[in-house]
Parts: sequence; structure tokens; C-alpha cells
Amino acid sequence: MTEMSELAEEVVELVRRLGGRVCDVLVSDARLSTAEVEKGSVKQASFMADPGIAIRVFENGSCGFAYCTSQGATEVNEAAELAVSMARAGIPDADFKGLPEPSSPVVVDGLYDSKVAALRPEEAVDLLLSLVDEASAAEKVSSVNAGLTVSTGEVALANSNGLSAAQRMTSFDVFAEAVARSGDIMFSGMDYASSRKLDMDSPLKVGSSAREHAIKGLTHQKIQTGDYPVILDPLAAGYILSAAIGGGANAESVQRRRSYLAGRLGTAVGSEKLSVYDDPTLEWAIGSTSFDGEGVAPRNKSVIEEGTLKTYLYDSYTAGKDSIESTGNSSRGGAIWSYRHPPGISSANLVVRRGEVSLDEMVQDCGKGVYLRVTFDSPNLATGEFSCLIMEGYAIENGEIGPAIRQSTMGIGLLDLFSRIDLVGSCPRHAFGVETPVIRVSSARIGGSG
Amino acid sequence: MEDLAEAVIDRALSLGAEFADLRIESVSGVNILVMDGKTKTVTARIDRGCGVRSFVNGGWGFAVCNGLESSELMKAAEISVRLAKVSKEKAKVRFKIESTPSIRKNIEYGCRTAPSTVAVADKISFVLGLDKSMSVHDERIISRSARYDDLEGDRVIANSFGTLVKTRETWTLASCAAWGKSDGIVQRGHGAVGNVGGFELMGTDAAVSCGEEAAEQAIRLLDSKPVPAGKFTCVLDNKMTGLLAHEAFGHACEADAILAGASVLEGMEGKMVAHEAVTLVDDPTVPETFGFFPNDWEGVESKKHVLIQDGVLTEFMHNLETSSRMGKLPNGAARSDSYASPPIVRMSNTYIGPGDMSRDELIGDLKDGLLIKGGQYGYVEPAKGQFMFKCDEAYQIKDGVVGQRYRDAILTGLIQDVLKDVTGIADDFELVDPGYCGKSGQDARTTDGGPHIRVTNVVVGGLA
Repeated sequence: MTEMSELAEEVVELVRRLGGRVCDVLVSDARLSTAEVEKGSVKQASFMADPGIAIRVFENGSCGFAYCTSQGATEVNEAAELAVSMARAGIPDADFKGLPEPSSPVVVDGLYDSKVAALRPEEAVDLLLSLVDEASAAEKVSSVNAGLTVSTGEVALANSNGLSAAQRMTSFDVFAEAVARSGDIMFSGMDYASSRKLDMDSPLKVGSSAREHAIKGLTHQKIQTGDYPVILDPLAAGYILSAAIGGGANAESVQRRRSYLAGRLGTAVGSEKLSVYDDPTLEWAIGSTSFDGEGVAPRNKSVIEEGTLKTYLYDSYTAGKDSIESTGNSSRGGAIWSYRHPPGISSANLVVRRGEVSLDEMVQDCGKGVYLRVTFDSPNLATGEFSCLIMEGYAIENGEIGPAIRQSTMGIGLLDLFSRIDLVGSCPRHAFGVETPVIRVSSARIGGSG
Repeated sequence: MEDLAEAVIDRALSLGAEFADLRIESVSGVNILVMDGKTKTVTARIDRGCGVRSFVNGGWGFAVCNGLESSELMKAAEISVRLAKVSKEKAKVRFKIESTPSIRKNIEYGCRTAPSTVAVADKISFVLGLDKSMSVHDERIISRSARYDDLEGDRVIANSFGTLVKTRETWTLASCAAWGKSDGIVQRGHGAVGNVGGFELMGTDAAVSCGEEAAEQAIRLLDSKPVPAGKFTCVLDNKMTGLLAHEAFGHACEADAILAGASVLEGMEGKMVAHEAVTLVDDPTVPETFGFFPNDWEGVESKKHVLIQDGVLTEFMHNLETSSRMGKLPNGAARSDSYASPPIVRMSNTYIGPGDMSRDELIGDLKDGLLIKGGQYGYVEPAKGQFMFKCDEAYQIKDGVVGQRYRDAILTGLIQDVLKDVTGIADDFELVDPGYCGKSGQDARTTDGGPHIRVTNVVVGGLA
């Protein structure tokens, strides 16, 4: 780590000698091991060593960026010269007020698990096979496809203000798709888990969830077009809120008037049941970090408090433009940082404040409705409108979750979605960068084939 | 680089690999992002590295190193063999990679003006021109993004069957997005042009006008309404037909999904899966398209894949493994998004072939339905048999007349039903929509297209 920090500081000096007075440098060394299973059989084991350097230079506010997939002197010199020349070629920008100053380091627990780093390929394959055994434990399951990825990353960041910071991170990810068949009917169930910690139980949980949902989807029915209460599973809620709040509160989009949340700071954007904060210090969570992509110390912040929008998410550029402090939301992308892209703005770990209602109580209270488990659609952040395919969802009838519904859609404005949240569950899970329980929306438009 | 490639393959074989291949790449490129009249970032990339793959009796090992030091590449070969043996130990399915004739070839993509010979200032000037074309289009345009990407690279693909294919690849891409505002309503429009080839492509009318296209769309959408949800007969424009071909059917025809037991089309070869007028093709050999490649990323010569002929499912897309296991000839559909990813089965230029009706006939015959235009994105789960794709604009069709404009409609259907519900195919074929397709964390450059088509029983998702 010390060596990497020294290299980052040396490259800052190199850029300065080339005439780049304002710059930051990220030195990264990531290692990824994966194991994959196809139709129940081990298919491939992989290893990737991915050292590299990212250099960002500002010339009168114009940003040049270059990276190289090496830490060798020749490539680093080439990248440094390119970054300086790219910055000089760009357009000056008076809104750029400078890079972060050094600050006291913050200790965040749960970024690095030595057990993850030490996992051997054979052990990774065995863990994955335990998932496959669990997912296959039913006659109707005809195929299981699964993957396990173990990542370690060391990064050192330095800038021309004298900031220097370094950290180690790990990530342990498992994914499963179980396919079930009954006669001509076929359906698949998926689940995944992602953590900075080695969790020996997660492969079994993911395998069993994929199996259960594959089988559950074999019984299906059509649904009539209409307005229904909708319960969002954490998988669906996480996917939607990650874009709707993480993307919608992005200060860059807000300043450029591209977000439906522009102009709504301090106003009610949702029901009092909805409180969401962004916590980069959450132990073992995938988005946790001891400094952001520009070196700013992380802090827990309320984004929506009982329905009121409290803050946007800033990096140093957007904060300078609004003459405030960065919220520490500059991101280098992913659990293990990437040097291949300039930093952008992202939420770290969004957390939905839990309520007191169990899923059973929520469903019983529903009468008739829809349970949306999986969608991979993104909202239109300019209009705040959201229409999605219900990739996996179930009819709720007589207070019980019933058969799967197929070829159906959900449509709702995001502000309506937030305002119509009338129940929040008590049991959260992590999904797509969001820790959230089940959430009930009192009414949404369902398009059906019935 | 060729000698090093063959030495690395030899090293993998000497350690026990039954088959080995590699991709060595040295790539440079520039990305320029302009937002509201200023450069947001000007990026240069230097990507150099190698991915080595080894196979032992049903198990694959894959190892990646950065840089082109021979010692690192040799180490990657050793790791790949070790990992292949780890896979083999626990693999339940045993198979061989069938030998193919060796292919030795030097390929250079057509390119009149290499991007590396163009000053960055000139590229920035082009992107600023796109930005300006949006800002002057209409005073209701409140924000703009214009982007330019180029890539120039050398790739060596080698394998233990004696294949050694060297490719000099060049492509360029421009894309624009514009946000319009009126009476408190904000709408976004977009446009993109991409192709294999050099900076000369940025001088074409299509590239120069892609900013205006985005701005026009944003302004058009300002008077749109949310689309009503429900089941409709839809007329799809060229882009949406392409997206349908890609999402609704193309992915389910990728043979790796068949072997994974995760496609509803398993066992359907030779059966009617579409209306008899439907022919659906994936063709990487179409020149001057974003999905073009003469040889795939395993070195196999690319060919046209006729997936559906006259309504009958005729072919799947294969790589060396799937063709070996399914008793077929490899047909050149293996692609990697870089040296750091193993080749998997992918599409290229995917389209539905032309029919003999006119677009006006498709619409004029329709009493009640929707005209769907412009594609945003789509996705599919072949194991669930469900897909969706999202349009830019939709229009009400009433008694054969196109009326009210709608926005943000999503269309969803079932893979096994949707093409049987085609009731008309127009003669106005176009391969029009360059973009990127994502699968297993890898991006592939692709183009989609086709003629206008009419489909019944489409479930449309919307807010109204």
C-alpha cells in the first residue's frame, strides 16, 4: 500500500513537471477470480490481474483524463502526457473550483476481509457447487446456471493539493439462475448476494431462493389491465430506487435541469413513510469506502427524510458550482474501483428506513394486488415517469401471494410512487446498492394480457 | 506479437491443455464528452493486455494479464491451465473442442482517415458543432450532451489448431442527447451514429445531423402524453423492428443459452416459430455497419446466420464449444469485448427481412392500434421466455389515421408467440440502429433493423 501511495504521489509530480498544475492520480491493483457453472456442471474458472493508473488533469477547469493498463514507467509517462494534452485541448470551465484538500482519515470498518482474499480457486468452486446442490434440490429444476466472483482491490489516490489516501477492499458475489420445467411450461428464478465479507451461508440462501422462485413461476395466470396496489420486493425496490434516487439526486443532472428532482430541495417528494439515507460507512456493504473517488471523507447523509428531499449528491465540481461542500459522492465505480473511467457521481449505499410491518401482514392487508419481484427497467429521469416489464411478479388474491403473472407491465410516475408508499416492511436486504425492506405502493397502473 | 502468441499457446499445451487460445490487444482511443457548450471530459485510453484460455476435458481456465511482457503472458498461460484442471475436476459434462481448419489471415477494417491522425482539437470542434446544432435548434432546448468515441487497435487471435488472425480494427461513434422544457414539462431526445471506419464517418450527413435529430425529438415529445396501458396491435418502425428481432428472438438463438438449458427455443429447430412471412437474420458480414466483423474472436470466419426462414427456426449462433457439443459447424458468432473477457456467443447485425406491403398499407388497414417509433433499450430472459423493449415515441392509430403522440411506451411479449402474431411486413427495409448489446458483463457493438411490421396482442406498458 505504501508503495502504491508513493507511486501515486510520484505520478502527481510527473504531471506537474509536464505542466499539469491541478491533477489527481489513482493507482489501482485489482484481482478477480471467478467460477462458473452451466446446467449444473462446472464450466470455467478464471483469474484476472488488473493493475492500472488513471490520471486526471485540469487546465483552467478543462478536464483531461487518461489511463493505462500498466504501472510501468513508459506507459505511465505516455498516459501523463496524454492527460495533460487532453486538458489543454478542452474548453475552460470557470465552474471548476478545485480538487479536494487533504482531510483527516476516516476509519471505516468492513472494507477488507482477508478470508475473501485468501479463497483458493478450488474452494471457490466447492462453494459454488454447494449453491448448485441447493438450487437443484427439486425434481422440477432442469438446469442451474451460477457464478461466484471473488475480488480484491488496492487503490491509492493522490492529488496536487497534497491529498494522499489508500485503502484495500474485497468483494464476494454469488449469482444463480434456476430453470424449472413442467410439461411445456418453463420458468426461471434468480437471486444474488454481494458483500465485502465472505459469507459461507449466502450461496445456500441464493440457491434455495432461485429454486423456489423458478418452481413458483410454473403456475401462472393473466391479469386484467387496471390499477392495483403493488408490493415491491427488495430486489425490485432496490433496482428502482437506485436509479430513481441515486440517479435523480445526482447534482450534475439537477444543475443541468435534467432530473425530475430539480427544484424540489426542501419540498415533499414522497409519503412520510419514506426516509432514505446514503451511508458510505455501512460495515461490509459493497458501496462502503473510507474516502470517495476524489479523496473526500465519507459521511452518512439523509437524502429523503419522512418524504422531504434533504440533499442532492455532490462531487467537488458540482459542489463548487453550488458553492457548497462535496457530499463525498464522487465514485470510481463498483465495489472494486475502476481506473478506466473518469470519476462520476453515485450514491454509496442507499438505506431505506425500515418500518414495522411484516410481509405477511402487508400481503393480508392488500386483498387484491400485485407482488413485483424482478424488473430491470430504468425510469425516465427527465420526466420522472416509470414504466416497466414485470419480469417476475405474482398476483395477490384474498390476502395471499398467488400464481405468477406473465406479459404484464407496471407504470407510475416516480413522485406518485414515493407519495403512495403506505407501508414499509421490517426486514431489509441489500439489492443493487440499496438496503431496503419490502415496500407497498397503494396504487399503480398494471398493463396485462388478460 | 505473432511469435509471442504461438509461444504462449505452446506453453499452455505443454502444461496439459487439450485446446488453448488467446487474444492479445493493443488499443488506443479518445472519448470526448461535451455538456452544454463545454467539454466535460476529454479522455485518452491505452489498453494493452492478453487473455489466455485453456481447455481440459470439459473444463475451461481463463487468465488475464495487463501489458505485453512475455513473462506475464507465459504466467497467464500457466494459470489458465491450472484453472482448467480445477474446472475439469468438478465438471460433470465431458466434451472435446472439435478441431477446425487453421485460419491465418491479416485483416484491416476499411478506414480512410485514421482517428489517430486527427488532432484532438478537430475532434472537439466536431463535438462542439453537434452541441451547437442542438442549442440553436429551438429555444426550448435547456440542456445538451454530445459525445464522440473512437478506437484503433491491433488484435491477435491464436489457437492450438494453428489459427492466427491479426486484425487492425477502427471504429467511430457519435451520440447526442437533448433536453427540452415547456410549461414545466421536461423531455429528452437522442440520436446516434456509429460504424466501423475512421474519422471520415463523422463527416457524413447522418453524423452531422444527429444533434438536430435529438433536439427535434425532445421538442416533439413536449406535447406527448403518457401511453395508455393494455393490449394493442402495433405497427413498429424500422428501429423497433430491429429491437424486436434482437431482444425477442436473437438472444434466445444464442447456442450457449440452449446448452445452459436456459432458452425456450431448445428443441425447436425445424419448427414453426413465426408467421410464414418472417425471415430473421443475424449477419456480421454486412459491410459498413457497427456490427461488422470478418472473423470472430475465436478466429472463425463470420457468416450470415438465417435464424428463421419463412417462419421456421433454422439455425442457432455458435462458438467453438457450442458447435462441438451440438454437432454443428462453428459459424463465427464468438465475441469478446476485450482481451480481458472470454469469447461468448453474440449477435452482430440483427434484422427481420423485408415483405411486400407498404408502410401506409400496414397503418391504413388498422382500425385501432399504435405506431411505435425509435428504440431506447430492451432486455430478455430467454429462460422465462419474456422480453421487453422501450420506444421513444408512440402514436395512436384510429381508423388508419396516425394521431395523438405518446411517450415512454414499453412493449412486452412472449418469445414463442410474438412472431406468430405478425400480420404484415412492409418493403421499407433499413439497418439503422447502432448501439451496444450487453451480456454477461460484456458489451458488443451491434446494429439492428428491418422494415415496418405489424404485430397483434402486444402488451403495452404505460402510465395511463
